[in-house]
Amino acid sequence: MKVMVCLKQVPHQDARLDVNSDGTWIQEDNIKFEINSYDTYAVEEALRLKDAGDAEVVVVSIGPDRVTQALRTALGMGADRAIHVNDAAAQGADALGTAKILAAIAKEENADIIFAGLMADDDNAAAIPPMLAELLDMPSATGVTATDAGDGSVRVERELEGGAVEVVDLPKPCLIAIQTGANQVRYASLKGIMQAKKKPVDVKSLADLGVGGAADNKTTINKIYVPAKGDTAEILSGSTDEIVGQLVTKIKELGLL
Amino acid sequence: MGTILVVAEIQKGAIREASYELAAVAQELASSGGHEVNGLVIGSGVGDVASEFAGKGGGKTYVVDDAAAANYNVDIWTKAIKAATEASGADLVLISNTPTGWDVAPRIAAGLDCAFVSDCFKVSSTDASGSSFVRRVFNGKLDAEVSTTGKTIATVQPGAAPAYEGSSDGSTEALSVDTGARAAFVEIKIAESTGVDLTKADVIVSGGRGVGDADKFPEVIQPLADALGGAMGASRPVVDAGWLDHPYQVGSSGQVVAPKLYIAAGISGAIQHLVGMKASNFIVAINKDADAPIFEVADIGVVADLFDIVPALTEAVKAAKG
Repeated sequence: MKVMVCLKQVPHQDARLDVNSDGTWIQEDNIKFEINSYDTYAVEEALRLKDAGDAEVVVVSIGPDRVTQALRTALGMGADRAIHVNDAAAQGADALGTAKILAAIAKEENADIIFAGLMADDDNAAAIPPMLAELLDMPSATGVTATDAGDGSVRVERELEGGAVEVVDLPKPCLIAIQTGANQVRYASLKGIMQAKKKPVDVKSLADLGVGGAADNKTTINKIYVPAKGDTAEILSGSTDEIVGQLVTKIKELGLL
Repeated sequence: MGTILVVAEIQKGAIREASYELAAVAQELASSGGHEVNGLVIGSGVGDVASEFAGKGGGKTYVVDDAAAANYNVDIWTKAIKAATEASGADLVLISNTPTGWDVAPRIAAGLDCAFVSDCFKVSSTDASGSSFVRRVFNGKLDAEVSTTGKTIATVQPGAAPAYEGSSDGSTEALSVDTGARAAFVEIKIAESTGVDLTKADVIVSGGRGVGDADKFPEVIQPLADALGGAMGASRPVVDAGWLDHPYQVGSSGQVVAPKLYIAAGISGAIQHLVGMKASNFIVAINKDADAPIFEVADIGVVADLFDIVPALTEAVKAAKG
């Protein structure tokens, strides 16, 4: 069985976010990057299938040179090989443009199951995985918190509101977008990291894949900014004792003490 | 001018509130831009519900009514929404950003090779050339203004607009769609009740990622909850990390609460969490980061280390109780 995992490298969750000079994104120089948290759960879910049987796990990512590090991390966790689309024309491609790039790779790979994280920690779009499934004409399920792969299909649990889950059977090939907390993500072992250095990372350009990239964008981010703060919050100041005193007064006013 | 298609969702036999919020967004754009509003209802035995939606904001409402559509199915919904988009000639298709919406909406855009914007809280404009929106990025820390060219599929954050309260002169029109499906619905599993019912607590003290590890919950957060006679809660990252079990989770995929007092310690305030607690009577937020989105819903904010404030507050509350 072949499993493909799409992953994105995003600014570290504690990275300082400064708007860039043209106001269209954040400054990406001088910050740390990491694998998108949702995608780490997707990589883990794929590796559990590999642990359980005979599966090859291929990880795919799009981005500049720094993305190699994210792919090496996934290889260190246990993925078998990686594909890196490293092409300036892909930078700034919108979700559909990015999905088309991944679709071109997916058509070459012919995986039985494609995993991705539900959304990315930077744009929170949750757009690419279902788009990719539609482009590949395969069934999909998003917000998945459990998978059970059988011979011809995968039984998944999709997270709904209020703690409920929907159980759905997806015939293979299928695409599954994983929710955070679906599993416990493994660390790359020292042995795994050493082995990762010898695993293949295949670098591709858009010309190799025959797709357009950012030139075809129909969706554009015009401006990013810190939202105007609502005036409603009264921010307390003073020493810890003074703040605690004000809080106790308020709690008394609420009739709770 | 053009047409705006509103895709409705049914919960417990009725059109859900989020769908009437979409209708409000569509009707407001329509009245300023001269567009027509159309609706879409998908399900089994939904004729009456579709008529009601048509008269309460949906406008002329397409109905896909088939036993195969009794439960949500990604394949059937994809075909139905594409068919309704084509039948209505819509330039803008609005879907709520619910588990159904985020499952199917991107597929429509890919299938029609058109623009897509997710989880917007404002639709600023729409016309034949495209639309513009405002949405949050970086888990609520920044706002983004996004514009699209041409036909656009957009999901709208539930709660972003008030539900439509007007009427619309809408008839229904049956839409026939091939209901063959690959995905197969099996069942819905409801969360078992575990005795942790946060919805009944007058006071909830919730901890987030800032609490740092599992041990700190019983050491720091639970004592404040106990001192106030309340319950302990958590944001999603805490449950994902395995520090607390799912019953403690406050948020759209956990419990939605509205206690007299909600204290959020070390919680940044991602929208999924805010949805679960912003209706609380009084909210106190404690976070080291002055830009944390939680402060936008808080009544009182404390920009400080929760490990300085929470233990001291616990002692002060105990002392006040005597």
